[in-house]
Amino acid sequence: MIMIRAQLLLLLSLAAHTLSPEAAQHMQAGITADKQRQFDIAIAEFQKVTELDPAFEDGFTSLGQAYMEKRDFAAAIAPLKHALEVNPDSAPAHQLLGYALLVQGFAAEAIPHLARAQDKTALGIAQIQTGQLPEAVANLQAALAAHPNDPDILYYLGRASGLLSKQSIDTLLASYPDSPRAHQAMGENYFVLRQMPEAEKEYRDALRLRPDLPEVHLELGEVYAGAFQWAKAEEEFRAQAKLQPGNAEAVYRLGAALLEQGKVHDARAELSRANKLMPDMPETLYSLGKAASLDGDAVAAEKEWTKLLSIEKDSPLAAQAHFGLAGLYRKQGKIAAAQHEMQEFQRLQGGSNPPPAPGKEESPH
Amino acid sequence: MLSRLSAAIRILLVIAAPGSTGGPLFEVKVPQGIDFTLQNSPTPQKHLIETMPGGVALLDYNNDGLLDIFFVNGGRLTSPLPTPDDFGRHDPRYWNRLYRQNKDGSFTDVTEQAGLANAGDGNYGMGVAVGDYDNDGYPDLYVTSYGKNILYHNNGDGTFTDVTAKAGVGGGGWSVSAGFFDYDNDGKLDLFVTRYMQWDTKHSKDCGGNFHTYCPPEEFPAVTNILYHNNGDGTFTDVSQRSGIAAKKGRALGVAFADYDGDGFTDIFVANDGMQQYLFHNNGNGTFTEVGLEAGAALSEDGRRLSGMGVVFQDYDNDGRPDIMVTELPREIYGVYHNDGGGSFSYRSLEAGLGVLSSGSSGWGIGLEDFDNDGWKDLFVAQGHVLDNVEHIDPSLHYLELPLLAINHNGRFERADSGITAPVAGRGSAFGDLNNDGWEDVVMTSLGGHPQVLFNNGGKTGGKAHWLVISLRGTRSNRDGFGARVQVNGQTRYATSAGSYLSASDKRLHFGLGAAETAKVEVVWPSGIHQTLNEVHANQFLEVREPEKQKQ
Repeated sequence: MIMIRAQLLLLLSLAAHTLSPEAAQHMQAGITADKQRQFDIAIAEFQKVTELDPAFEDGFTSLGQAYMEKRDFAAAIAPLKHALEVNPDSAPAHQLLGYALLVQGFAAEAIPHLARAQDKTALGIAQIQTGQLPEAVANLQAALAAHPNDPDILYYLGRASGLLSKQSIDTLLASYPDSPRAHQAMGENYFVLRQMPEAEKEYRDALRLRPDLPEVHLELGEVYAGAFQWAKAEEEFRAQAKLQPGNAEAVYRLGAALLEQGKVHDARAELSRANKLMPDMPETLYSLGKAASLDGDAVAAEKEWTKLLSIEKDSPLAAQAHFGLAGLYRKQGKIAAAQHEMQEFQRLQGGSNPPPAPGKEESPH
Repeated sequence: MLSRLSAAIRILLVIAAPGSTGGPLFEVKVPQGIDFTLQNSPTPQKHLIETMPGGVALLDYNNDGLLDIFFVNGGRLTSPLPTPDDFGRHDPRYWNRLYRQNKDGSFTDVTEQAGLANAGDGNYGMGVAVGDYDNDGYPDLYVTSYGKNILYHNNGDGTFTDVTAKAGVGGGGWSVSAGFFDYDNDGKLDLFVTRYMQWDTKHSKDCGGNFHTYCPPEEFPAVTNILYHNNGDGTFTDVSQRSGIAAKKGRALGVAFADYDGDGFTDIFVANDGMQQYLFHNNGNGTFTEVGLEAGAALSEDGRRLSGMGVVFQDYDNDGRPDIMVTELPREIYGVYHNDGGGSFSYRSLEAGLGVLSSGSSGWGIGLEDFDNDGWKDLFVAQGHVLDNVEHIDPSLHYLELPLLAINHNGRFERADSGITAPVAGRGSAFGDLNNDGWEDVVMTSLGGHPQVLFNNGGKTGGKAHWLVISLRGTRSNRDGFGARVQVNGQTRYATSAGSYLSASDKRLHFGLGAAETAKVEVVWPSGIHQTLNEVHANQFLEVREPEKQKQ
């Protein structure tokens, strides 16, 4: 792209700039060699152009680019800087120099050049390296808007956001180490690391300092649920639901914890409440059907699972709903209906082995 | 009014029986004379066989009225593994062991004199089945292995003879749990052998990346199980193909038997690891049809596959129909398949209370026994994760665990203190009344360690509940009445020594009677003969002999 532009510029220069015929000849030879990926020849030709006409910016820019194509980024820097001395507004020279400096690890030096070139992706990456995280996030978001779903931009945006989050948390921990929020943040860190005893302690400390701290009961409940301590999980989810009666997730998780303990009636009540708060979430509908089935209420179970299947056709939850309905119909003696549901279940399994229990996917054995 | 009061007092007395005193139900000790160590030989190479043994059997091999104990040992694993396979079984450290119980409760190692010493260097031991296959009144042993299985005929004089070659039951590959049962009701015990997977030492590998763990079952191809038909002349015929058993490949670890649909023919439940469970319905004509999925006994209630390991096939809720309980890995829940009648099961783990009790544990050997003699079968599970380094992968899981003891309250289980205080890598477990006091005891194996022997304290701690222990003596049916349905005061047991994991339990049928001082005993023999005994006194060991023909 830049080389095409160089070719155009060469034509213009030949017309506008008093490029000597000898320099023009070398310029053309360099462009040709570069096209043929004969970078050493291209470099030699562009070098001659810069020697014959030191005021010809594109000679230096093309030389820098040839070095970069040869992946000799260090050698590219000097001619690109010279190009900018000749023409401080050259966007291609700024962009190439920004790249070369960034690749060499000189992110701070690269940033002004990338900013001048308006290359938001590279600028965001450079800003990650210099710790300008809010700016990096903003630039990468803009880049993503221009190039949706670009995997590299998605990666760097995720990284920048994560680092920004960590930076905020680090500031919190450094400035207010004994604050409830600091304990909550530590708890979340330990939870991610699956260090559950430590996570539990931090969440407990947070609640001791501020019993109504939002989300902590929910997170602590998740710690207990992960350790299969369902009674404790229930207690925490219940506390969260009491603090935030409109928090559908807390109420759903309370229902799920009750269900795990076989407290079917209570589970149904809470799951129904969650369904009212956030209607027709597939997970809630499935659990509602399951609780109803366990409670012997086949009509309600059928209703919830059928509703779920009207929302989701091919998901793992849909497969589970078909399996549940098959069992329901089998017990009712509706053999044909049971067989149909079982066939649907098996179809969604792709005729393969059914899925393992949740959480078992990653753990060996 | 008075009678209602006295009934209430009786109920209180029963409730105050040992399980609810707050103390442990069992006294855990290694009886004098038992010095067995289960040698599984863990290696850095994580050969899968090393985390899977070993079985235990409770049997009265010399018919002196006292239960003896047989342990299956693993073997020696070296690096690199030798070719051909050599697990050092000639070395006494790796022998299976038979301990004869003495009258004073101590045990004597009689392995060598019984002829059970070297199980063959090419065999890495797994499990054991017990049954009197030739109806001579002496229980025989079938020992499974990675390698060749061995049928030991009990000669009746304190010795056993390896009759594998003559009997034709050597198996091959990796056999795990096995059990004797009479599938065609011809009065002769047949033999079912589960096989785990197509694995051998030449194709061993480890998994888990840098963690180096034992591989999950999906890493190896599934295999078929084996059904041997007893020809009645000391030989067996492999009928796996023609019976339909070999039509289904699996990764089987546990097996248990009961007639779930009341058609008079014993059915088979196979616990498969990491896939659907198999329920082989006995068609009554020498063939079986796998009906697990249609019957609702194959997957969890969410349609998820389970890591089935141990299994018990008995009636936990006293509705007269045999239910299925399967032990699993963590993040699953031990499966309770409730027999709804009509050939249909429903998954009732959560209602039975097992969500709370089991979702963080790895279960192996399992038994449904009425430990507190209150008339409800309680639950015991040997526990410990498959991976000996699981804590590095998930700190919430544990390689060493306490066993689960859960008391049955009207069909819902609640945790109780087993008396074991140090966690172990529990594997096999067998159940029976070791000291003939009417209270069921437990023997559990643990990898790399000594067995745990749990003596039921019920009688000693003042438990008032009554009991009845029944021995069946078949005449037209097989001699031990395996497959008979025995009902006592509303409770039901199916006669078997099979079930659990790799293990064989006391063939006698134990019933807790609570406050009842008498019992009505009803037996439906495999021959089809119905027999009823009324006003049977409690607290006795009763032999019930099968009538030669049905009374009109």
